[in-house]
Amino acid sequence: MSNVILFNLTTVLFGVASALYLGALYAKNEKISAFGTWVCVLAAVVSTAALGLRWYESYRMGIGRIPVTNLYESLVFFAWAVNLFYLVVERKYRNRTFGAFVMPIAFFTMVFAVYNDSSIQPLVPALQSYWLHAHVITCFIGYAAFAVSAGVAVMYLLKARQEQAKISEGVVGLLPPTKMLDDLVYRAIIWGFPFLTAGIITGAAWANYAWGTYWSWDPKETWSLIVWLVYAAFLHARITRGWHGRRAAILSIVGFLSTVMCYLGVNLVLSGLHSYGGG
Amino acid sequence: MADEKRTPSPIDRVWNFFTSVKLAIVTLIVLASTSILGTIIEQNQPPEKYHQIYEDWAFALMDRLNLFDMYHSMWFLFILVLFTVNLSCCTIDRFPKMLKVVRNPRTKLDGNLEKTLSLSDRWKRKGSLSEWTGKYAGALSASFAKPKVTEDGGEVHLYAETGVASRFGVYVTHLSIIIIFIGAIIGNVFGFKGYVNIPEGESVTQVPVRGGLRMQDLGFTLRCNSFRLETYPSGQPKSYMSDLSVINGGREVLRKTIVVNDPLQYKGIWFYQSSYGQAGGATAQVSVSRKDGAPMGTLALAANEPVPVEGYGIVRGVNYEQNFQGNGPALQVVVEKPGKPAASFWLFQERPDLDRRRNDSVVFSFSGLSSKMFTGLQVAKDPGVNIVWLGCALMVIGLVMAFFLSHQRVWVRLSPGPDGRVEVVLAGSASRNRLAFEKRFEKLQTGVKAAGQ
Repeated sequence: MSNVILFNLTTVLFGVASALYLGALYAKNEKISAFGTWVCVLAAVVSTAALGLRWYESYRMGIGRIPVTNLYESLVFFAWAVNLFYLVVERKYRNRTFGAFVMPIAFFTMVFAVYNDSSIQPLVPALQSYWLHAHVITCFIGYAAFAVSAGVAVMYLLKARQEQAKISEGVVGLLPPTKMLDDLVYRAIIWGFPFLTAGIITGAAWANYAWGTYWSWDPKETWSLIVWLVYAAFLHARITRGWHGRRAAILSIVGFLSTVMCYLGVNLVLSGLHSYGGG
Repeated sequence: MADEKRTPSPIDRVWNFFTSVKLAIVTLIVLASTSILGTIIEQNQPPEKYHQIYEDWAFALMDRLNLFDMYHSMWFLFILVLFTVNLSCCTIDRFPKMLKVVRNPRTKLDGNLEKTLSLSDRWKRKGSLSEWTGKYAGALSASFAKPKVTEDGGEVHLYAETGVASRFGVYVTHLSIIIIFIGAIIGNVFGFKGYVNIPEGESVTQVPVRGGLRMQDLGFTLRCNSFRLETYPSGQPKSYMSDLSVINGGREVLRKTIVVNDPLQYKGIWFYQSSYGQAGGATAQVSVSRKDGAPMGTLALAANEPVPVEGYGIVRGVNYEQNFQGNGPALQVVVEKPGKPAASFWLFQERPDLDRRRNDSVVFSFSGLSSKMFTGLQVAKDPGVNIVWLGCALMVIGLVMAFFLSHQRVWVRLSPGPDGRVEVVLAGSASRNRLAFEKRFEKLQTGVKAAGQ
């Protein structure tokens, strides 16, 4: 299973990148974090190759399906998406301190994945559909955006507390200004929200095509609606009632916690139709 | 409405309540937090199951609060209605105002407006007002949008805008939610959902709906011709399929093999492959031929069921062995001919010619057991579903319009200065993504300033 070896390598790279970003923050050394960026780029290449290889290997085993159909695969796909989304943000905002708060999310996701069954299992009939691709990809881009938003929200809370105390030294002093952090918390959500919406819609369309009901209040569906409602509340509070800063950051973190509940909690704690993590 | 707000009458207060975004945020949070309940408490289970989990008093309380079917309870419906009323009122309240602003934009850059705009620049040029008006209008058209020119009190104002559609995004999104609700209501009122098992070779003309409380006529006959199951080498089901025929007015009008994720549709009624199982016991397949080899047909023998063979007698299958004395699968049959004692013998699946040794007028050969299957079909009619998809499409379009377009406005004011030169003011604003607009504005600034130099 060479794809698993590559995914294990990816885990190590995410760990190294997280350590470099955190180290750079503590040592106040830009060069170390620049090295972190290259590790992230390398991890992006390796994890993309691993996904491709896993896809190819599934064909060789006569199963042949996109590698996003069980808990292991969905975790590595999520980490892959977080890493890519992060690289885009880093490039766009020209600031590497985000890495210390976002890359650990990708790293711990991969560590969690390693503890799950990594074998390629055949698809149950219900999952054999082209809707699978559209549904999973849209959902996970949304999840990745929400993860980035929550990571930046944590940065905002740290930075804002320090600004209030009028200190500019220390580790937190290196973080970008609160205005930029606040903007990014919001901006990541306006990317995530349409994707989550599209993810829920493609899921509904698929459910309707597979068993004739587009909405059945199954726990997974309900939690995706809860996530949607939390972010809808965030957007209304932000746009029309001027919720900036602290309150917006907290709401973003609440939104991400409900996303984690929707993604993992439902399968690990509650019962439902979604197959991955059912064990 | 806005003009009448000076004296807040009770009607105004009610209206203000329903048009407030605060209510919207509260409703969204209440919907989100109450929805959690139904994911913790398993919904629509038989009462015995709840009694096992909960104490009697807790069961009584939860039952009273409809927590066992909460998404269809009156109180949840009430929150949804409140949500919809709030959404509609906000739209009715704000849409006309927005439309007015979009239709009659502020085309003149007066002092008041200028103060509110953070992005602006001013400079002076030698020459005539009309000469520079032409040059700047050209520059704006080339790099931004064609400006509207207004002359007022010796001053000339240029106004250009892009991305007006972004202002409509929020209304498209809100409308889409109402459309989805309408579609859902139509589906609930005029549609039905049911489930039916059809054994192979049998037909149905009606299906049980509402958990079997009512029978729904299909208006045609649906027959399951056959069912097939394919498995992975591990034994896990790979795919299962039913060959279905729709019979209307005595003839077959449609035939399709359905699998999971590929349903059959006739007259707005959809049939989804959902499950399968064994229908009754197995039957033994026995082919019959005359001594000279001429075939007489095939018998399907259910356990101990007598089956007549014309001009011969009555045959029954009485016993089956998976591996009879090391000779593979075998069927024991009993033959009763009129006026003779019953005879019993074994037929071996792997040796079909062995029965010739009996030297009887008829030769049997056992070709194996076949178990009759039934197919489990989900049956649904939902005339509102396309309205729901329309709403969903509009929602995505609306979100993209609201979040990824920006209403950007640029003004240029030219006025004759006291020194005989033309005083120029350039200013701009964007409805969202101001950082990106700042960059665009800087470029525009350089471009417009350089025009005609």
